[in-house]
Amino acid sequence: MRKKTLSMDIANSIIPVLLAFIIGGVIIVAIGNNPLTTYWVLIKKSLLTTKGFANTLHYAAPMVFTGLAIAVTFKANIFNMGVEGSFVLGGFCAGLFASAVTGLDPVSTKLVSFLVGMIFGMLFALIPALLKAYFKVDEMVVTLMLNYALAKVLEFLATGPFREQGAGYVCTPTISGNAMFGRFGNTRLTFFFVITVVVFIIMYIVMKKSRLGYEINAIGNNPCFAEACGMRVRKVVIVLMLLSGALAGLGGAGYMMSEKYKYTLAFSGNPGIGWDGMLISLLGNHSPIGIFIASIFYSVLKTGSDNINLYTTVPKEIVTVIQSLIILLLSIKIINDKTHVISGRLYKKQNKAVK
Amino acid sequence: MDLLSLLIHDAMYHSIPIILCVIGGAFAYKANVLNIALEGFMLNGAFVSVYLIHTTGSVFLGIAGAIVSCLLLGFVFSYMGVTKKGNVIVIGLAINMFVAAFAGFILKLMGTSNIVLNTYSVADMKIQIPVIDKIPLLGALLSGHPFISYLALFLVALTWFLMYKTKLGVYVRVVGENEDAAKSVGIKTNLYKYIGILIGAVTCALAGVNLSFEEMALFTNNMTAGRGFIAIAAIYCGRGNPFISALYAMIFGLARSLAVNLSIYAGPAAGLFDVIPYVTMVVVLAVVSIFKHKSNKERGFLS
Repeated sequence: MRKKTLSMDIANSIIPVLLAFIIGGVIIVAIGNNPLTTYWVLIKKSLLTTKGFANTLHYAAPMVFTGLAIAVTFKANIFNMGVEGSFVLGGFCAGLFASAVTGLDPVSTKLVSFLVGMIFGMLFALIPALLKAYFKVDEMVVTLMLNYALAKVLEFLATGPFREQGAGYVCTPTISGNAMFGRFGNTRLTFFFVITVVVFIIMYIVMKKSRLGYEINAIGNNPCFAEACGMRVRKVVIVLMLLSGALAGLGGAGYMMSEKYKYTLAFSGNPGIGWDGMLISLLGNHSPIGIFIASIFYSVLKTGSDNINLYTTVPKEIVTVIQSLIILLLSIKIINDKTHVISGRLYKKQNKAVK
Repeated sequence: MDLLSLLIHDAMYHSIPIILCVIGGAFAYKANVLNIALEGFMLNGAFVSVYLIHTTGSVFLGIAGAIVSCLLLGFVFSYMGVTKKGNVIVIGLAINMFVAAFAGFILKLMGTSNIVLNTYSVADMKIQIPVIDKIPLLGALLSGHPFISYLALFLVALTWFLMYKTKLGVYVRVVGENEDAAKSVGIKTNLYKYIGILIGAVTCALAGVNLSFEEMALFTNNMTAGRGFIAIAAIYCGRGNPFISALYAMIFGLARSLAVNLSIYAGPAAGLFDVIPYVTMVVVLAVVSIFKHKSNKERGFLS
């Protein structure tokens, strides 16, 4: 039975991806290009060369963080859309700190910068967490609104008070050399990836083996039951939101120190890395290992999309179109063993409780 | 126009697209479907209408195309969310992302970052109401808006009537309140959820058309800037009642109008004024929730 569910999970992750690529292929044909060559360009450089693959891993690192940040809340049925905000705020604050700090050795500079990113990531998640826990304000709407508000505030700070004078475009000062991660060889890979792997392992243990991980599952499956069993749901909700914010903030800080080195208005890209994290978490079925694999897959798409722009005439937005189709198709279980569902909800509820 | 009239006029202009979204979302809310895709529907309405008018030159075709394409998205949303019982939040976000990505894709193909309709004059579409436009503040509030704005105000009343005075509305609300009970008396629950979502698709299409035509007649990507989510917040605050929810939408419109018009006097800090509407919405949502749960004496998180 277990084997069957696992293979079904895998099929349910792979079929939507294939379908999305087929629909994307139809669009590419419609504008008069060859989808196969386009897709070949997409994966060739980012997956099949050593350097390209190392770069893919490098870009996957921050997405592992945001993916995990989404997973810890989504799994408990808390929809924290503020991961993007925590990520950007963490990166921004860590960057400002790392550009201003002097007199620390390289290791402690990085450590303190990470800490700054983490704290601000948590702070951003704290407001919706408290509102959700104590006043039951819908966390999704609040985090979405705060994301927009934060984007405007950071735009103001980056163009006004913290703007690097003399730069030709809007950015904050470059971080000090002590805070920059050195690259391995001629690739873009840095020690940040190692940190990512460590955090991933810790989160794996937290989600699979710890009490908190069990509470996440319990609350996600049936919050009433969890509450009745004596779990302090309110406290767990706050802890999860803070954990989510901390992970996103760490990711932002790491992305700043290993890749961007300064805050620009396009720091997180469009759609941002926080949103990528959501797709990754869905793709990986909110499980840590799934998220790790999905990040790498996603990073292939992302780095590959730049190559599409360089080597073909297809606009690279096609990759975003495919991504959104993947999310859309992932939202339903294409294959399931409940095709004989009798009367929808009731049956499903029982099923869940049994699981 | 003096500043106060300008503020009121702009408040109306910023409110209308959100009010239209609120009308659409209210039905889905009452049918217990959280329709996050309002934002995507609206962006789609704006994009398709501007694109079609740009390529064909026909305003009618533009608006019709916007409505049809939004209905199509609505069908996708309902099929996956209602028939297939997928997670509606995820589906909604996917649709939002898809519309933005697809519009970006087409814009890139056309080689521009926004479509501007030069042949179309915004001023021609505005309706000046003869007597009222002379009255100082009321004129600014009610006169000089395009046709869809007046339609929106009419639709608020119509929605209220549909929701509370007809069989359709009663059924939709029953489905939302207790699906099993509705099923047991033979109501086709899925059908009413579909209806709720599709009504939302149509009004959001109109919201998109209104958004792109009221002031400038252009389309830029992500021009909806979270208005769909603000509509959702407004629906939450008004608990799906069209009149009350529309009032909350107007609070946002007013906040936005204040932000836009006062930022002229703010100098370098002008950018910060854009924060006002979003923060207002969070505060309003929080205050409403606090009052809602104040009288709650039950223990525990879920009560």
